[in-house]
Amino acid sequence: MKIVVCCKAVPGAVTDVEVAPGGKALQFQSQFQAMNECDEYALEEACALKRAYGGEITALAMGPITTQDILYLALAKGADQALRIDVRVQDPQVASTVLAAALGKMEFDLVLTGTQSRDTLASFVGVAAAARLGLPFAFAVTEVEKDGEQSIKVRKELGGGRFADIRLGLPALLCVQTGIQPLNFVPPGRMLRARAQPIRSLSLTELGLTEEEIVPRGYRYQSVSPPERVGRVRFLEGATPEIAAALLARIRAAL
Amino acid sequence: MPHPMQGDVLVIAEHWKGEPEGVTLQMLTKGRELADSGGVGLAVLVLGHGLDDVVEVLRGKGMDTIWVLDDPALARAGGGVEAHAIAEAVRAIDPGLILIGYSLVGMELAPAIAVGLGVTAMTNCVDVGIEDGAVVVTRPFFDGTQHAKIVLEGKGPPLVALQGGATPTVGLGATEVAVRPVAVDLSAVPARGQVLEVIEEAVSDVDITKAEIIVAVGRGIGGKEKIAVIEELTQALGGLMACSRPLVDLGWLGRERQVGASGKSVAPKVYLACGISGASQHLSGMSDSRLIVAINKDPNAPIFQVAHYGVVGDLLEIVPALTAEARKVAG
Repeated sequence: MKIVVCCKAVPGAVTDVEVAPGGKALQFQSQFQAMNECDEYALEEACALKRAYGGEITALAMGPITTQDILYLALAKGADQALRIDVRVQDPQVASTVLAAALGKMEFDLVLTGTQSRDTLASFVGVAAAARLGLPFAFAVTEVEKDGEQSIKVRKELGGGRFADIRLGLPALLCVQTGIQPLNFVPPGRMLRARAQPIRSLSLTELGLTEEEIVPRGYRYQSVSPPERVGRVRFLEGATPEIAAALLARIRAAL
Repeated sequence: MPHPMQGDVLVIAEHWKGEPEGVTLQMLTKGRELADSGGVGLAVLVLGHGLDDVVEVLRGKGMDTIWVLDDPALARAGGGVEAHAIAEAVRAIDPGLILIGYSLVGMELAPAIAVGLGVTAMTNCVDVGIEDGAVVVTRPFFDGTQHAKIVLEGKGPPLVALQGGATPTVGLGATEVAVRPVAVDLSAVPARGQVLEVIEEAVSDVDITKAEIIVAVGRGIGGKEKIAVIEELTQALGGLMACSRPLVDLGWLGRERQVGASGKSVAPKVYLACGISGASQHLSGMSDSRLIVAINKDPNAPIFQVAHYGVVGDLLEIVPALTAEARKVAG
């Protein structure tokens, strides 16, 4: 089975968040980048499918050269090769356009990605890329198994304790739910070896896209700030025993 | 330029066994408010096969029009076919704004509907309103530590996926409602996804939905072995222990204890959140609790947006102190 895993480099703690001039993006400071945790589950599932059915895994990420760090992690975790699309994109609709263009140039049976990224929190890019390519898709997938040569059977969450079993023709795209596989720790030695591997990169031009096509459309940021609290939270302060007594009194009063 | 809304607010309904889902009733509540402020009508689109029951329940829930897309091909259709059907129905209905719940089902459908229609989509919104004639949404970024206000100004009806729990459900007044069929030709759509079966999770011995006191634990606890500290507090308070999604993913606690969009919705008298940062998926499952107390080391954690009382500090110090206090009072 040829599997592509789309993983995103996301910022750690961000500061100085503001609307960028022009209102088309948010700008911020961040110390480091990490692999988006939801996508890490997609990578672990890809490794499990490879162990079960054989095949190869390509890790795919979008971003500047610093994005390579998460691709090295993907290689260390078991991806056979890594590909970086050399473009900075924040907007989920644009990201799905770029991703679809890249996937359109690749050969695969299955595309796996996570359900949400911790920065834009949109749950958008995976399914939108599938829709652009006309691929069958499923969201919040908790189990995947082969079901004949050209199809798979997946279980997906519907919420409220309901699940659906679905048969999908291949190639297909799945947004896997967190917890589908345990996350494995990568020993430093494997990480070092992964850093010796080459990572291919593709430019926008090589994808057949123009700068014009990656301009976010249809909206404008007006403002950004930490969320207003509903206004009711009262922080209890003081020595721990005092806090405990005050909390308990309020809990008892509510019963 | 922002353009004034022309056309109805259209809610895409989710339903199960002849009943609309709770999130759909919330969308109708919000939809009514938007329709009134925009001076347009409120419509709902119901799709599937055998829809008489859900249409009956929806009557009198405040909308002006119920659009019914009933097609045998939708009985076991996968997400691709459903999204295609919705996009085509929306073209026929020609609304001014499309509203869908940001539920697991909505998360799957919204991107495909938006791509199918070529319209602007904003998902995971906590609020949507109309300002100076334009649709304006508020949505979280960066783990919910920031909220951005965004003005939608594209062509075509924008699609807004709104979090459950973002808006309360109010009893909607009965209105004169037109039930109208909408037909979409699905014969040419390749059905490359097919639902084989829908499974409902068996009822467990632990039913957190019935508890009066819930002590919920999140990833902030820092280790599986430390959950015992939370268990002791739960016992001392006479409540039930629940958790956020990451603990289930880690295999530390069972799914029957999970609160949130993919777990259970709860509204106990007391909800004590220990080391739970408060992702929107979690908040949507507990924000209706009568008293919410949160203990977290990060004062900016989103859980404090819904908490009544907060303690910023170390769980492993505060929780045992609270347990001791509860035992003292009980004893």
